Formats: sequence, C-alpha cells, structure tokens
Amino acid sequence: MNLVTIKNMTKRYPIGNSEFTALSNINLEFEKGEFCGIIGPSGSGKTTLLNIIGSLDTPSAGSTVVLGKDIGNLSEKEAAKLRSRHMGFIFQTYNLLPVCTVYENVEFPLLLINMTPNERKKKVISALEWVHLTDKINSRPNQLSGGQAQRVSIARAMVKQPELVLADEPTANLDAENSRNILDAMVNLNKELQTTFIFATHDEKVITYLKRKIFLVDGKVTSDGK
Amino acid sequence: MIKFLIKGLSRDRSRSLFPILMVSTGAFLTVVLYGWIKGAMNDIIDSSARFDTGHIKVMTQAYKELSDQVPNDLAILGVSNLLGELRSEENNILWTPRIRFGGLLDIPDSLGETRSQGPVMGLGVDFSSESNDKNILNIEKALVTGHLPQKKNELLISEDFSNKLGVKIGESATLVSSTMNGSMAMYNFKICGIVRFGVTAMDRGAVIGDINGIRDALDMPDGASEILGYSKDMLYNEAEMTKLAQKFNKKYFKKTDEFSPVMLTLSEQNGLKEYIVIIDFFGTILVMIFVVAMSIVLWNAGLMNALRRYGEIGLRLAMGESKGILYGRMILESVFIGLAGSLLGTFFGLILSYYLQYHGFDITSMMQKSTMVMSNIIRARVSLTSYYIGFLPGLFASVIGTMFAGIGIYKRKTSQLFKELEI
Repeated sequence: MNLVTIKNMTKRYPIGNSEFTALSNINLEFEKGEFCGIIGPSGSGKTTLLNIIGSLDTPSAGSTVVLGKDIGNLSEKEAAKLRSRHMGFIFQTYNLLPVCTVYENVEFPLLLINMTPNERKKKVISALEWVHLTDKINSRPNQLSGGQAQRVSIARAMVKQPELVLADEPTANLDAENSRNILDAMVNLNKELQTTFIFATHDEKVITYLKRKIFLVDGKVTSDGK
Repeated sequence: MIKFLIKGLSRDRSRSLFPILMVSTGAFLTVVLYGWIKGAMNDIIDSSARFDTGHIKVMTQAYKELSDQVPNDLAILGVSNLLGELRSEENNILWTPRIRFGGLLDIPDSLGETRSQGPVMGLGVDFSSESNDKNILNIEKALVTGHLPQKKNELLISEDFSNKLGVKIGESATLVSSTMNGSMAMYNFKICGIVRFGVTAMDRGAVIGDINGIRDALDMPDGASEILGYSKDMLYNEAEMTKLAQKFNKKYFKKTDEFSPVMLTLSEQNGLKEYIVIIDFFGTILVMIFVVAMSIVLWNAGLMNALRRYGEIGLRLAMGESKGILYGRMILESVFIGLAGSLLGTFFGLILSYYLQYHGFDITSMMQKSTMVMSNIIRARVSLTSYYIGFLPGLFASVIGTMFAGIGIYKRKTSQLFKELEI
C-alpha cells in the first residue's frame, strides 16, 4: 500500500479576478521507506506540493491521499491530528523554541500526543542519540551551532517515529560539512526506521543523496526518476 | 503541557514579567483605592450616625421638616413613655434621647461682665446607666482633661472652643438660647471637662451637657429633640432598620398630627442615601476603568507577544497543535499571568490598605472650615470585598486581553507556514 497517492491533483490560487495555477495535474505515489526529493527552481511549486502532502493546504482538484486520509476532505482538526501523529517537519531555519532546552524541544511533539513522561524520556534520549547530541541535552538553541540546531530539529521530527518526514530545504543554511552530516543522519534514520523522507530542494548537496528525484517545473512533474 | 507552559513563562521574561507587573499594578491600585473609598465612606457614615443621624431616628413630623434649624419648639414631649415603649418593644436596639441646640456661650469675668463669648452648638446627652450614649459618642475617650458631667449644671466644652474663649475647668459659662416655648433662655453652667472629638465641625464650637440640665435650661420637661437608635454591634443594616422604621411608622405616625413621631433610617437623612449610591457608583466605575484599561493594555501586550512568538506559534500549528488547542493554551498562560499578577497586586494592596486602616491619613488642615460631621483622620477599610475587588478584574483583564490578541491564531493560514517559518 502506498503511503501517499496523488491523482490528477491541481492547486490554484486566486490572484485578483484571475487564478494562478501552482500545481497542475500531479500524479505521484510514495511508498514506505522512500528517500526522495521534489526538485525544481524557485516558484516551481515544490513547497505547495509539500504543503498539500503535509496537510497544511488542500488541493483545488484531484485527490491526495496520505496514510489513507484524503487531504481534501479533512477538517482543520483532523489535519492537525494527522500531522501531530504521523508526520515530522524539518525547516530551513530550524525553528527551535528559543526558551526550551534541546531536550524540551525534542520532547515537544510528544507532548502534543499526550505520551506518558517515562515513555517520552526514553524516546527523547533515543532521538538525541540518533543525531549524536546527548551531550547537549540542557543547552539552549542559542548555544548551538547551525549544524547542531538542525540535528535537533531532525531529532524533533523523528522522535515520535513518524511514517513521513517532510523537509523543506533542510541544508540551505548549512556549510558543506554540516550538510553532509545532516544528510548522513537522515539516510541512517531512513534505513534504520524505514521512515519516508520527502525533500523540497534545489540544493545539489541534497540531490546527490536522493534515491528518487522528482523534477517539477512550473507546477508540472517533468521527470520522476524512480 | 502545563509544565511546558509554566517553563516558557518563567524563562521568557517579556512574556511574563511585563504583563504580571501591569496586572499587579492595576490590582494594587484597585484594592487600595477601593479600601480608601470604602474607609472614607464608612468614616462619614459612622461619624454621622454617632453624632447626628443614629442608625435610626425618631422625631416629630414637624421637627423633621425643619430639622436643619434645630427647632426645639417642635421637639418630642413625653419622651420617657415613648422611650419605655421602644426599649421594651425593640430591645435589640440601643435607644437614647438627645437634645440638639444652638445659642451663645458667654464667659463672664470675676465681676460677672462678659469676658468672651461665641456661637455654640450643643448636645444634651443622657449620661444615665440606661443609655449608652457616652460610649456611642466616645466621650470618655475624647476627654482631654476634667470629668464627665455629674451634675445637671456641668458642661463639657470642645478643646478648640475652650482655647478660643479662654475658659478653663471649674469656670462658669452662661448659655444664651431660646426655650422650647420661644422665650429667652439663660442658664449658668460650670465647665467640668474639655473634649477633642477629632471632628472639626464639633471641635470648633460644641458643648455637651447632661440632658436633664439642658431640659432645665431650655424648659423642655420630659422633652428631647430626637430619640436615636443604634444596633448593638454598631453596624448599620439598611434592611433591618427600614423594616423597623416601617413597623414604628405604621403604629405611631399620624398624617394629620404634625406632632406625631416619625422614624427615619440613617440613609433617609442628610442625603446619605444618595451619598452611598454615589460612592458605590464610583467604586463600580473604578473597577470598570481598571478592567477596560488593563484589557486594552494587555491586549496590546498580547499582540506584541504574538508578533514576537510568530515563529513559535507557526511551528506549533505545523507540528499539529490545532488552532483551538493553541488558543486555549495561550488563554491558560494568561490565567497563570493573571493569577500571579492579581495575587501580587492584591497582597501588596492589602498590606497598604491595612496600614492605612490602622494609621490613616490626617486631613485636619483641609477640614478647618468644614461643617461636615466626619473624622479628621481618613482611614482605609479592609473588607472581604478588598480580597477580590482587584483580584478578579486582574484575572479577567489578563484573559480578555489574551482572548482578543489570540484571535490572530485563527487568521494564520497553515498553507503559508513553510514560507513564514523560513524567514
């Protein structure tokens, strides 16, 4: 069974009296354990596609089924539930909570799903071990380097062991060495936990790591290198 | 999650310290001002009750109409009978007769010629054991020197007045006034004590004599200007006194007889009812201003906070915290802030209020020309209401401010979060 199935999906945005088509007639399928990327220049529709897969937005036409749920038919509450239980997000700018320690930042997604404190502790420690940051448990985000902060955000995305992780330009703010470290960590997690990773990127460093490359130009899939 | 919220508040001072200071300042001011207003109001009511209106007062209908002029020609006669009936029928009330009078006090020299004289207002007080009037008027405490009147012709004089007239204890003083029948009254008294009431209107020119002596002086056998009633705990209860007045008036009041007795409650005299309503109104206005002003300030603080926490809120929405739950948690944060601010403000407000209750604020210099029967020291009064008058508005203002500011959460589009979080 596919994790994500997109059929004839189109996304249009109203601009004044006319409409702008951000995505046109997209047909894609993603299976469990994929490590793939949506590649394209700025304005090609990568983030819009990621938004729809991540239930942050809804398609204008066609269907997008994620983990058996049709994104177009979900209420705001149901979409939030889907994200909190089954998805992890990695952002370009890390977006760690500045008043929380590394431990608390990683723990936060587990608070949203009401996990017990003991279970939370185990999961947070495991997640920090995956990204080799157990020595920074009590540090605040402003005490971390860019690479460390992004590894914390990976741990935060992975801590509940979601089926799907969506990453939008995760290495855009990192140098080559840190980017490699981050990508190595994600590849390992993909292998170890069979988590599906979908990237939106135009960064060559990321592209070389991808097992599947989907090229998007002007809202249309031009190539799907399975 | 509550732990998470509290940690966020304790670590992020701009999220907690500023709003807590705002709320606590508002709560503090409300508690102190409310206690101050209540204290001043109660001082005026208490002084009026003790010196003038009683909790309840009996006089003739005709006297009531002209009571400002102290018309003793319209006073009650047959006081002992009426007083006896009142004391037996309403034995939970302290009843006491009084004569209020005005006139001229003349101090003679050794030859009997006028040495000094001045206008005087006076009270004829029942010093007998049946009456508790000397305690109601706190005369023993007010006594600066000398003793209470033990004979009919002994007179107490207020300290400022005695200084003005240059009269000392043991010296004679002649009261020049008019009798109940309208003829001239001249009666020789002996000054037996000097008193200070702490009420400018009284201290400036008052004398107090035994009611029997005043009756002799003003030719009022078995008469009294008024009969005053006080509840035994000395606390005025409007409902109880109104009921009592209705019962009395039903029995004694005759519309056609202007000398029939009529009973009035404290609030029905000297415009005190309006005064109480006005004070309550100002109290309510004070609280309303606090709630509205604080809500606007905290709303603004909440908006600033929401701007500062734009990224955090976006992240939480992206990670799957629903808008409703996020909004609820922000309100919960504001409850913590409101509780902390209100508790602090109320605590410090109560400390200052208690201080002002015991030490008060001396306004003697402002009362030099006052004719109001009120204490020269205004004190705050801490009541049960003081404990929540600042606390509840502080809490509400904090929550209402956040509720307004938090509406912005519902305007966030999740479809923009990736873009917004990349900034």
